Amino acid sequence: MKTQLRINQPDLKGEGTGSPSNQEALVQMRGITKRFPGVVANDGIDLDLYPGEIHSLLGENGAGKTTLLNILSGIHQPDEGTISVRNEVVHFKSPHDALEHGIGTVYQHFALVPNLSVAENVILGLNTAWILDLKGAERRIQRTMEKFGLTIDPHLQVQYLSLGQQQRVEIVKVLFRKPKILLLDEPTSVLTPSEVGELFRMVKQLRAEGVGVVFITHKLHEVLELSDRITILRNGQRIGAVTPEELANQTHEEISNHIVQLMFGGVPEEETEGTYAPRVSEEIVLTLEGITILDSQGVAAVRNLSLELRAGEILGIAGVGGSGQKELLEAIAGQLPVAQGNIRLGERLGEIDLTNKGVPFAMKMGIAYITDDRIGEGIITDLSVAENSVIRRIDKRPMSRWMLLRWQAIFDFANSLIGAFDIKVPSPQILAGTLSGGNIQKLLLARELSADPTVLMCNQPTHGLDVKTAQFVWKTLREQASMGAAILLISSDLDELLKLSNRVGVMYNGELLEVLSIEAADRETVGRLMLGERS
Amino acid sequence: MEVEAFITVLLSASLRASIPMLLAALGEAYNEKGGILNLGIEGMMLGGAFSGFAVALITGSVFLGFMTGVAVGAISGLIFAYLSVTLKLDQIITGIGFTILMVGLTGFLYRYFYGRNFPTLGVSKKTLAIPFLSKIPVIGPVLFDQHVVVYLTLLLIPLLHWILFHTTFGLNIRAVGETPGAADAAGVNVAQIRYLVAVFAGAMAGLGGAFLSLGNLSLFVPGETQGIGYIAIAMAMLGKWSPYRVFIGAWLFGMVESLAVGLQIIAVPVQPEFILMLPYVGVIVAMVFLARNARLPAKLMLPYERGER
Repeated sequence: MKTQLRINQPDLKGEGTGSPSNQEALVQMRGITKRFPGVVANDGIDLDLYPGEIHSLLGENGAGKTTLLNILSGIHQPDEGTISVRNEVVHFKSPHDALEHGIGTVYQHFALVPNLSVAENVILGLNTAWILDLKGAERRIQRTMEKFGLTIDPHLQVQYLSLGQQQRVEIVKVLFRKPKILLLDEPTSVLTPSEVGELFRMVKQLRAEGVGVVFITHKLHEVLELSDRITILRNGQRIGAVTPEELANQTHEEISNHIVQLMFGGVPEEETEGTYAPRVSEEIVLTLEGITILDSQGVAAVRNLSLELRAGEILGIAGVGGSGQKELLEAIAGQLPVAQGNIRLGERLGEIDLTNKGVPFAMKMGIAYITDDRIGEGIITDLSVAENSVIRRIDKRPMSRWMLLRWQAIFDFANSLIGAFDIKVPSPQILAGTLSGGNIQKLLLARELSADPTVLMCNQPTHGLDVKTAQFVWKTLREQASMGAAILLISSDLDELLKLSNRVGVMYNGELLEVLSIEAADRETVGRLMLGERS
Repeated sequence: MEVEAFITVLLSASLRASIPMLLAALGEAYNEKGGILNLGIEGMMLGGAFSGFAVALITGSVFLGFMTGVAVGAISGLIFAYLSVTLKLDQIITGIGFTILMVGLTGFLYRYFYGRNFPTLGVSKKTLAIPFLSKIPVIGPVLFDQHVVVYLTLLLIPLLHWILFHTTFGLNIRAVGETPGAADAAGVNVAQIRYLVAVFAGAMAGLGGAFLSLGNLSLFVPGETQGIGYIAIAMAMLGKWSPYRVFIGAWLFGMVESLAVGLQIIAVPVQPEFILMLPYVGVIVAMVFLARNARLPAKLMLPYERGER
């Protein structure tokens, strides 16, 4: 009946999505809502996928793209909404169910077994026969790879492959099952340009064969090159789409303007409360010179980055999550080794080399770092608030003497922080792990600021906090800056960055693309840089 | 001739002595490959030993005794799987708790029912000689004049190896212990596989325990396993979860044990306690030298939560 309707009314558009008149949708997701503790990851999202099209999902971090994809691949179950595959309503209880319906997924974090061979990984879970026919499987894998122009030795153990090769194994694994629907979650983030070309060629070949592809990426030019349809998510909601007709009739520039506007624009500027006059001095406090940081895989997370930070300024670093911002802060804090370049502190008072000197030295020199992983890295959940508050200075008087703790001094100190930062806690003896996120953040701020840092680094300082606590954090950061501290701020909340910062730097793929003055930094400009589009 | 007789007796006795631990270790190797560490093996062996003994005593059927031992082990494994896979409880605490429970329970039941007259099963001829083959010098008596369970175990070793490395089921087990997330994404039922290996490990421990009280000794004494359940866990790791290597390790352990007994018989002037300690020392030394580079399955002891990294 539904199909009938569509044939009769070819112009009918579901929620602004153009629907090809003569084709039945492969996937229809309607009103998908998924809640996780404390967040609504997907809020009534609709998504259509037709055979032979590439449908891109765009959105900032936390917009809900991966959650939506994981719902379609059976990892998560939606709280509300329906999914139909070829007009049949489905309820996926596990990835197995989704696979049965011809849905193949290449996950953002690979789903490979490192100590198995390529062939074993490819046929894992197929369970076609009881006896493992590796020889036969290898032949069939070779045939699949030949068809798509891929090469990889099926005997190799996956753990010895590069990330790009592992990606290829993931793709072979999916192709081997001849999917009708292919889900790709940020498949290009680990690939070299030539590997990206190979991937795109293959995706286009699949499209020609009638496979429907959902493609998640952060890179605008990739979206424009590949997509037949684009859906844009923001804060868990579907806020717009680009239809095939629009893609066909508009220039790339028009479309990209439209997308940037949808992703980042249209938010009224909030008024800055109180009078806040930044007093940025000329004194350079921290100098980074051409630093390169490698991640655990040996891939550069930060490339040849140089930066100067002045006393009294707040420098915001924008960027899609995983662009190297976290690694940058961790290297300055002494947690991550720097492969190249150097980090120096101070100018007038004689420079101090901070490069690869470790955490205690950085702390001693006045570097404070407030992590985004408050519970895992910020506090020790099984110690009391008092113990957590003195953890940086527990080996010094008056907190301890001759290695014996002096509880009176510790409690006095903790109480002074609790009072000054209005931490809601009945007693300093309570376990820190029982505090709310906002109070943990206040405790971290209090602890780090009590050391009177010259450089304060914050990663997502208000993420997950209520408005009141967030405002408290903002006020505190501004006060610190006006008292002469240099602040380096990472946030995925662009509004926060633009509100607090004196300058805004944008990182993309490990590089600092540009540092803008606050006057030049508006949402669209920063957003465009975050997607790798240099102006 | 005397040397030949000595070697024959040593090999034959040590093979037989190694069977309880070998069975438990083979089961545990599968278990660990699938991501479950069962420290309750010791207790499950005791459960198998006691229940097998009791049923054999009541019914007069050693076969039923063995079956009971296997069933008690399998049920214990099922309970363990429920606690560790479904309820996602800590495997170390669950396992140790299981062992402590079984030590107490079997000791209590033994004293309650048999504490006055200390019954034993009638001594019967326990070996089944295979015609012709058992007449080959050395190899014959060692491999072809043994208890039925010894034959069964020897046949199980290549079978278990084949299942683990040459079937899709075995592939699923290896994947589930290493990266359950990847296995799940590929359509493998992680919980199902983990339940199966846990039940299998329990059944093997139960059979091993039953062999102790029905095959080796014909009687049950509280604490009969003397820690060999724990040695089995070490042996599974030492053998890097390969049934063949586990077999070799277990037989060597049995040999040191038999040698210790042998030395006592020929009255070497050392303390018997010192000699009885030797096999355990051997395991510790072997662990130090051989297990240092053994890479445990990456998700051993970790419950699987979908969507977590």
